[in-house]
Amino acid sequence: MTNDLRQADTRFAQAGDTRTSAKVSRETISAATVAVLCVLLLVGARFVSPALGSWSQVETVLILGFFLVVLSFGQGLVILSGGLDLSLPGTITLGGILATGWVGTSDPAAWYLLPVVLAACGVVGLISALGIIWLRVPPFIMTMAMSIIVASALLGYTNGSPRGAAPYVAVALMKGHVLGMPVPVVVLICFVVLGWLFQSRSVFGRYVYAVGTNVEAARIAGVPVTFSRILPYVVSAMCAGFVGIALVGYSSGATLRMGDDYLLPSIAAVVIGGSSILGGRGTYLGSVGGAILLTTLGTIISALGFEFGLRTIIEGSIVLVALLLLREELFKKLWSIRR
Amino acid sequence: MIVGIYVVLYALYVYQQPRALSASAIAALFNNSAPLALAAAGQALVVISRGFDLSVAGVISLCNVTLAVYPMAGPGGALISVLICMAIGLLVGAVNGLLVAVLRMQSIAATLATMIICQGIALVILKAPGGTVADWIADEMTGRLWNAIPVSGLVVAIVVAVWLLIRRTNFGMAIYAIGADEQSASLSGMDTTRVRFLTYALAGVVYGLAGFMLSAQTATGNPTAGTPLLMLSFAAVALGGTSLAGGRGGLFASVMGAAVLMLLQKVLFSSGVSSFYTGVFQGAALILAVVLSGVLSRIGEAK
Amino acid sequence: MRLNWLKTSVAAATLVAAALAGTAHSDAQDKFKIYLSLSYSGNAWQSEAANIVKALAATPPYDQQVELIENISGTDPQAQISAYESMIEAGADAVISFPISSTALNRTIKRGCDEGVLFFMYDATVTESCAYNVSYLSSGFGENTAQALVNELGGQGKIFLSRGVPGNSVDQRHTDGAMSVFSKYPGIEVVAEYYSYWDDRTTQQETAKALTAHPDVDGIWAQAGEYGAIQALLDAGHALVPMTGENSAGFRLALADPDMQAKGLKGVSAGSPPAQSGYAFKLAMEILTKARELAPQNIEYPLPWVPAADVKVCAGDSYEDGCNVFPPEKVPSSFVSEVLNPVLLPEVNVESALNGTPVAGATIQPLPADVVKASNQPGINCDPCDAPPDMYKLTKVEATVQP
Repeated sequence: MTNDLRQADTRFAQAGDTRTSAKVSRETISAATVAVLCVLLLVGARFVSPALGSWSQVETVLILGFFLVVLSFGQGLVILSGGLDLSLPGTITLGGILATGWVGTSDPAAWYLLPVVLAACGVVGLISALGIIWLRVPPFIMTMAMSIIVASALLGYTNGSPRGAAPYVAVALMKGHVLGMPVPVVVLICFVVLGWLFQSRSVFGRYVYAVGTNVEAARIAGVPVTFSRILPYVVSAMCAGFVGIALVGYSSGATLRMGDDYLLPSIAAVVIGGSSILGGRGTYLGSVGGAILLTTLGTIISALGFEFGLRTIIEGSIVLVALLLLREELFKKLWSIRR
Repeated sequence: MIVGIYVVLYALYVYQQPRALSASAIAALFNNSAPLALAAAGQALVVISRGFDLSVAGVISLCNVTLAVYPMAGPGGALISVLICMAIGLLVGAVNGLLVAVLRMQSIAATLATMIICQGIALVILKAPGGTVADWIADEMTGRLWNAIPVSGLVVAIVVAVWLLIRRTNFGMAIYAIGADEQSASLSGMDTTRVRFLTYALAGVVYGLAGFMLSAQTATGNPTAGTPLLMLSFAAVALGGTSLAGGRGGLFASVMGAAVLMLLQKVLFSSGVSSFYTGVFQGAALILAVVLSGVLSRIGEAK
Repeated sequence: MRLNWLKTSVAAATLVAAALAGTAHSDAQDKFKIYLSLSYSGNAWQSEAANIVKALAATPPYDQQVELIENISGTDPQAQISAYESMIEAGADAVISFPISSTALNRTIKRGCDEGVLFFMYDATVTESCAYNVSYLSSGFGENTAQALVNELGGQGKIFLSRGVPGNSVDQRHTDGAMSVFSKYPGIEVVAEYYSYWDDRTTQQETAKALTAHPDVDGIWAQAGEYGAIQALLDAGHALVPMTGENSAGFRLALADPDMQAKGLKGVSAGSPPAQSGYAFKLAMEILTKARELAPQNIEYPLPWVPAADVKVCAGDSYEDGCNVFPPEKVPSSFVSEVLNPVLLPEVNVESALNGTPVAGATIQPLPADVVKASNQPGINCDPCDAPPDMYKLTKVEATVQP
């Protein structure tokens, strides 16, 4: 967003040395709380149906949560940098349509086209970022407009109905098994580790934190500000493209509305995970927890025998309670007790 | 600035579609724009105080199903109905205010939860679209006073006028102050919790009105009626030049932003753009409008 | 300075307008101006329905008689209201439309009718009585498929309901019809009920969720998106179960596939035919060209009904010799098979459905003289009105097991 926002949000800019340790504890507490909530939900689920709470449910949650976990990395980075990415529906669809249209099933060796698909999605993110930085369009409008534009261009490109089937690699990604584990679960774990390293341990991650906290201070401190503001949008768009490919592998086909359901959950996962929507604060592990929590909740809620309206009310209430438990104040109190 | 863009778009529309100048077409345009304009007006309040309010979709759906399931005839019924809508909005807004101002939750998260809950309640009240909104509301609120002034436009104008009054009060100025910098607002002796709470409550009341006007236009209930207005309300606010970072902007500009969005649909329709690609033009026009109004206001400031 | 900006933008806007207006008003003199108003696009069903109308409009002699303009307004009723209003103002002769709401558009439609515009709704309906509804909704999809499933299960078992869109009147009608049957059988237990948004991928995800809680499911009653349910069962390493669903090529081919049958798949393919749009368009044209007199009414499109035993793969490009599904080389699995109709729409073929292209050499054939009047469906095609006492009567299948 704009500069005044970041200047005002200096409350949480922690000073040099203690920052890492403070961040680690916050990360640990936040991730631990979410993990505990997930376990509580799974155990509680046994009361809903005896078949729940089993390993197979965990597996289902991890596979269904795959998409949200990946998306929340990109969305989390963008939010961390002080922006917001509403272009996810468009870019997810772009990834899916290109994967079926360009790559397709015909040639199993066509996997090398997949990076091209990701790059195409990255370009969308790049355009959003440039519009936000150079044309000074608010991220909200820029990314929303990009999503509308991409979706409509795809509608025209496919003439309304996407053809083609899932590429071999995408199917292997979502349906295969290695060492008795489903491939998506293995990929998911690798992705989370890499994402965590990137955000919390790499120099790029620190740059993004810095611009998200205070752009001017970051500039003075020698952070490549423009680059650090562009990067999150490109990464987010590529994550979305990856999710598009994965979705195609999961359901063996692309549709033009395949990305629509993921926008609000991606933001919700990041916020539940303890990130500040204003930027500069948040961890990827928190977002992962948020994504898994939402997915677990979804599986359990759908097993409840109530009518849909009531289920929606219960779902909203549980989200509310989770958010109340994960509040900043509560962490501060815990933190002060520990000290 | 946004007014200028509206005038240009309107000229374009009239040029393409001369029938657009008829009184009924103008009234139809007002009727179409009123719900979004009110939703954007409420949203603008929250955004100025530096927040996001997703519950707008929930409140509108809730009001809409309530009016459709419990229609009340005549002008008296309409009065009670509009009060009920405002009360629903007030209640939801107060809950938001409690969560955000008192319990210090992030606004986007808290209102996401209240939105989901409101949608659920709406689905419990009315499972599928149906019901009938009272005829008096459906006819009079979409009609014209003395065959000239569209009632829907009048309702929006009243809301804007009330806001212009509020804006001059301490409360009005406090909304801007906490949006610009909550800490210094609090240091200067403002009760920021109270102001923030009242902001959400007031926004809720305006959403209630939006729900009322939407029901008048569609004359029927739909448990998901508010959903399409969610993103559009933010777009309208941003288009009106209100900074999503808070502290700046206004209600009238957001209302005009909503009007531009609705007019854009008409212009794109009458310019005969291939339907698959309307989205491309819509998106491009959105970016262009924001860039243009940004450039214009910067030039204005430079002078 | 500010004024200059305004002037420049006005000038630019006028130029654009002139250019656009030039293209829009060129060849529209003595043709019928017909709008095709979709609420949303992007799934196979919607695009096939639109393509059929486009193909018909390009088939002689309609190609000389019609100016067809397509509009996609999105899932927002307000946007479709606005689109209808624009169409009325632009002097439409007829509007062929998939309405997003059965009630919200009524006032605008009424205004259009008063100005002499014909409104033809296909598949989804409106309760405004001055519009023509062409729809299969009154043909009993829910109750017939439910009875077929009960028959397959022998009146006993745990089932999933894979529904459509929450808060949608079509979904509600289907489900009410189905429940009218299921509730008669105490042995049938609905263990999970979820919304799949008429979409393969969502159906697959929601079914996967339901399977974690209820791995002991015996049957699935599904609305559109049914192919996703099969995939979810296969993903979970679950045996296939008897199920009913709509008309996707993937589902029909699976029903006829011996491998799938061996895994336990049985059932029937019925449901919403995109061909309704073509039928509605031809009816509207016959009225406009004075070839037919028809007052506004609810017209029933027959319920497609293809049990597993009747599935037959087509060799050619159209439904000849009783074949009713195209092979995977020709269409994707999401292709909705009931888009062609040899009796009502002999002019078009599979290419028309996929691309909106007319068939070379085809000319428009007249429709059968009689139309089937649909029964009252309160809140769906009329309001206020009374439902017929036998609203949920079975038409395609008989109960082979008693409760």
